[in-house]
Amino acid sequence: MADKKKTGLLASIGDSQIWKSIFRTGVPVTRRQRMMGVLNSVFLHLHPVRLPKHAVKLKYTWCMGGLSFFLFLVLTISGILLMFYYRPTVEYAYTDIMDLSEQVPLGIMREIHRWGAHAMVIAVWLHMFRVFMTGSYKPPREFNWAVGVIMLFLTLLLSFTGYLLPWDQLAIWAITVGANMARATPFLGHEGPGASLLAIGDINLVSMTSDIRFALLGGRFVGEGALLRFYVLHCVGLPFIIAILMAVHFWRVRKDGGISTPV
Amino acid sequence: MLDGIKAFLDILSKPQISFTLIIFIFPFVIPPTMWFEKWHRKLGLHLLWTRKGGLYMFAFITIILLLGFFDENFGKILGKPDNVPIIILIYSVFFFLWLSMSSAYKNDERMARGEKVEEDYGPDEKVLVWPDLVYIEMIALILMTVFLLVWSIGLPAPLEEAANPSLSPNPAKAPWYFLGLQEMLVYFDPWLAGVIFPTLIIVGLMALPYVDDNPKASGYYSFANRRASIFIFLFGFLTLWVFLIVVGTFFRGPNWNFFGPFEEWSVAKVVPLTNVNLSEYVWVKMLRIGLPSHPLVREVVGIVIVVLYFGLPPVILARGKLRGLVERLGATRYALVIFLALSMMALPIKMYLRWTINLKYIIAIPESFFNI
Amino acid sequence: MKRRKFITWLSVGWLAFAGATGGFFTMIIRFLFPNVLFEPPQSFKVGFPSDFQLNQVDERFKQSQAVWLVRTAEGMYALSTVCTHLGCTPNWLITDNKFKCPCHGSGFRKSGINFEGPAPRPLERYRIVLAEDGQVLVDKSVKFQYEKGQWDSPEAFLTT
Repeated sequence: MADKKKTGLLASIGDSQIWKSIFRTGVPVTRRQRMMGVLNSVFLHLHPVRLPKHAVKLKYTWCMGGLSFFLFLVLTISGILLMFYYRPTVEYAYTDIMDLSEQVPLGIMREIHRWGAHAMVIAVWLHMFRVFMTGSYKPPREFNWAVGVIMLFLTLLLSFTGYLLPWDQLAIWAITVGANMARATPFLGHEGPGASLLAIGDINLVSMTSDIRFALLGGRFVGEGALLRFYVLHCVGLPFIIAILMAVHFWRVRKDGGISTPV
Repeated sequence: MLDGIKAFLDILSKPQISFTLIIFIFPFVIPPTMWFEKWHRKLGLHLLWTRKGGLYMFAFITIILLLGFFDENFGKILGKPDNVPIIILIYSVFFFLWLSMSSAYKNDERMARGEKVEEDYGPDEKVLVWPDLVYIEMIALILMTVFLLVWSIGLPAPLEEAANPSLSPNPAKAPWYFLGLQEMLVYFDPWLAGVIFPTLIIVGLMALPYVDDNPKASGYYSFANRRASIFIFLFGFLTLWVFLIVVGTFFRGPNWNFFGPFEEWSVAKVVPLTNVNLSEYVWVKMLRIGLPSHPLVREVVGIVIVVLYFGLPPVILARGKLRGLVERLGATRYALVIFLALSMMALPIKMYLRWTINLKYIIAIPESFFNI
Repeated sequence: MKRRKFITWLSVGWLAFAGATGGFFTMIIRFLFPNVLFEPPQSFKVGFPSDFQLNQVDERFKQSQAVWLVRTAEGMYALSTVCTHLGCTPNWLITDNKFKCPCHGSGFRKSGINFEGPAPRPLERYRIVLAEDGQVLVDKSVKFQYEKGQWDSPEAFLTT
C-alpha cells in the first residue's frame, strides 16, 4: 500500500470513475474547485461564481425571490402528484378532493399545495416590495422589473384558476364573480361599454356566447366547460408561460449586472 | 373596560373613519415633502423605525389579534383557515416595512455624515457563491419546507359543501388576494373595478422604472433620496391594496355589510344604502324638471366633471408646481404619470362621495353599460 | 430580376405571411368557441297561473331553472335570479320585501328594479306566455331589460 491517504468507503466513492464523471471538479475544497463547481453545474450556474458581499445578507435580499422560485417548484411537484387522483369533471371533482384527504396516504398533499400557493403569493409580493425599496428597478433593470410584474400577475392567475378545481361553494362563487368581471371588459365582454357598437345590423358580434367570458368559461355559466378550461390553464397553460418568463427573468438578472449594487 | 375598548375599535374600524385616519396619518409617517418631514420629526414618528418602535408596533398588532382570538365574534373570523395567510401577510408586511425603513434611515444618516451606505462594501469585497450563498439557500429551503409542513399538518385546507349554482353563500368572497378589488366593486362598476383598474395597476407598475427618472438610491435602502416615489408606492400598496384586503376579509360580513371586528355577523343587520346618481341630483332634485330622455343630455354634467377631472389638473400643475417634472419627463411621460395618479385618487374620491352624499354614479348610462 | 420587381414580390410575400399569421391566430381564437353547447333546454312549463299565490315571490324554480315567478293582481312575470352586478344569486328576504345579493349587497324590489348597492340595472325578465294547455311557459332564451324599455313588451308580462 503506497498511498495510505485514500482509504474508507467515502473516499473510494469520491475517487471512483462514476463520481468523477458526474462531479468533475471533485470535493470543493480549494478556491478554484469551488468556482469551477458553480461554473460546471447546470443548476448552480444560475448564480455567478462570485458575489458582492451584501448580496448574501438576508437583511438586504429578504430571500423572497429565491423562496418564490422554491415555492413554485414545491407547487409543481405537489400539483403533479395531485393530478394522479383528480378528475376535472363536475361529477367527480368534489369527491376526488374529499378522497385526497381521506383515502390517500400522506393526506396533506392538498394542504401543501394550497398553503404553498398562498405563501407564494405573499412571497412574490414581498419580493416586489424589496425590489422597490432598494430602487432595484432603475436602469439597467427596467425590463426585468416589467417581466416581474407580469409574473406577479400570472401568479395571481395561477392561484385563481386553481381556486375553482375543488368545485365547492367557495370555488364556484369566487369564479362566478371573477368571470363576470370579464363580461364587463370594454368591447370584448357582452356587458362591457362599447360592446353594443360592434354589431352588424341587428346581430351583435359580442354576445353572451361570443365574448371573452365565454372563451374563458367555455359555456354560459360556470359549469363543466369552465372546470375543464381552468384545469388545463392551471396545470399546463399558465405554468408553461410563467416558466418561460422565469427563464427570461433569471437570465436578465445576470445580464443586467447581477443583483443590484449601490451606485 | 374590555368591552369599551372593543366598542371603540368597532367604531374606529368603520371604513369612513379608519380610511380617513389612514389618509391623514400616512403622509406624516412616510413624509413625501420636507414640510411633512418636519412634522414627522417633531411628532417623533421617525422613532417608529428604531428597534423600540418596531417592538411597539409588533406588540400593538399582537395585542389586537389576541384580543380578537379570545373574542367570540372576531375569533370566528380570525380562526378561518383561509384567513391565516392574511395574518401572515399583516405581520410580514409590517416587519418588512419596518426593516426596509429602518435600513433606509440608517443609510440616510450615514450619507448625511458623508459615509458609505451599509450595503456598499466596495468593489473588491466579493464572496464565493459556493459555499457562502449556497448554504444560505439551503437553510432557507429547509426552513420554508418545515414551515409549510407544520402549516399543512396543523391546518386542513378548507372544503365547503359541493358547488350549488342556485345558492350563493352569504357573504360570497373572492380569494383573499382579490379582496382589494372586490372592495373596489362596492364603489365602482365591474368594468372599472374588475378590468380597467387591475390593468392600470399592472401598466402603472410596469411603467414605474420608465417614469421614475431619479437615478439616486439604486441598489440600497434609502428614503431621503426618493421620498415622493416611496410615498406613492407605499400609499398604493399599503392602503389601497393591503388595507382593503384586510377590510374585505375581516370587516365584510353577510350581505356585504360592514361589520366591526368584534361585532356579530348577523344576517339580519339592515343597512339602508339607497344610492342616487348624479344626474338625478342635477335634473330632479336641483332643477326639478325630470330626467331628459337622451342619455348624453341626461349625463352631461357627469361627463363634463369627469373630463375636467382628467383634463384640468395636468394642465394647471404643468404650469405651476410640477413644471420641473414636465421638463424632465417630457409631455408623454408626464401625462401618463398624472393620468395614473388621478386614476389612483379616483378610488378614495368615489368612496367619500358614496359616504357623504350616497352618490352612485357620476356618469350613469346603463343602456350601454357605461357607468363611472 | 429588376429591383422594382423584387420589391413587389417582397411586399407580396410579406403580405401573404402577415395574412397567414393573422388567419392562423383567428382560427385559434375561433377554436375557443364550440359550435354546439350541451346545456339544459331554455324553455319550460311551470304550471297554471292559479298555482301561484298572489303577490308572492315563488321560489320553486330558483334551484332548477334560476327563475323567480311573481304573480300580481294584473299578471305574472319571470325574473332572472342572476344579479346584474356580478352574477351571484340574490336571496328573497320576505320580511324586508326585497331581493338582496349576498356578494356585494345589491338590493332589488319585488319588481326587479334595483334600488341599493352596486347593481347597475334591474334584474332581467324572461319571456313568459301561456302554452296551449293553459300552463305558463317560461322561455329563458328571450330576455327583457328594463333600461332598454323592453319590459313593456307583451311577452315580458303575462296578463291574467
